[in-house]
Amino acid sequence: MPSDFEPITLTGSAEEDVSLLEIIDHVLNAGVVIHGSLVISVAGVDLVYVGLNVVLTSVETALRSLKAEQAREPAKRSSK
Amino acid sequence: MSRIIVYCGFLQEERTKLPEMGVGGSKVNVLAQDRLCLLWSEVPWPFEPAGLQYKAVEFHQVVQHVFQQAAVVPFRLLSIFDGVPALEKFAAENAATFTADLERLRDYVQMESVVYVIQQRAAEEEKSGRAYLEGKAEVLRLSIDHAARVKAAIQPISQEIQVREVKSGTRIFALVRRGNEERFREGVKAVPLPQSISRRVSGPWPAAEFLSPEVRMPQSAGQQ
Repeated sequence: MPSDFEPITLTGSAEEDVSLLEIIDHVLNAGVVIHGSLVISVAGVDLVYVGLNVVLTSVETALRSLKAEQAREPAKRSSK
Repeated sequence: MSRIIVYCGFLQEERTKLPEMGVGGSKVNVLAQDRLCLLWSEVPWPFEPAGLQYKAVEFHQVVQHVFQQAAVVPFRLLSIFDGVPALEKFAAENAATFTADLERLRDYVQMESVVYVIQQRAAEEEKSGRAYLEGKAEVLRLSIDHAARVKAAIQPISQEIQVREVKSGTRIFALVRRGNEERFREGVKAVPLPQSISRRVSGPWPAAEFLSPEVRMPQSAGQQ
């Protein structure tokens, strides 16, 4: 389903990126779940629900990219 | 259209200072039910998806403001109520369980360590199928073994530990007495890190992984 959600972009230091992703992960995934917030039927609110799914996917993807980047960095440094 | 978002619950203490501003510059309000206080704001709804990241950080800052002073039960960002009456009903129905959890977790914070396998794509591509699978199994075994070692290292300073396997590795959550955060970090650092494995430590966070099921998924009418 198309969404106009802005994807997470990784800028700044790796540590800062991870911190931001961890904050987003905690804010969306940790804590009290109100049943009503997950059962959304109003069209306008549905957009947010779709957005939420996209956020979660983006966080996972971004973390994978970040880890891959971090894994490549030591190799680059040691080859110099 | 507006909705009520709830940031967190905490126990009433005179000395607790509240944040001046909530998500999107909204006013932060307190709803008190017996000893339980719920921090909430009225916000325009629905959120623009493009601004959700920024709102997540604002939401986090509000929760952190209180969490630095006291134990909190965090709500998730998209937990919304139709209006104040719905929130009041929720508070009345759930005050006892929330208060019990807040008393149990009063002196504790949540620390986390994530153990994960470093992707080594270039080297993997040169291997045969069998060597690739064997290498992958070996790294996975190392990761599981390392997570077990980390868990053992933090056991003495943890009241409780939860371990969750995720796609990228293992997340270890520890309930640690407030003030022992550095001991937790040192405990994790003391475990030698094998090649191919990486780890991160974060915290202190509100003890969301250690909430009772009744608080994490409360049964209540009154929400949207």
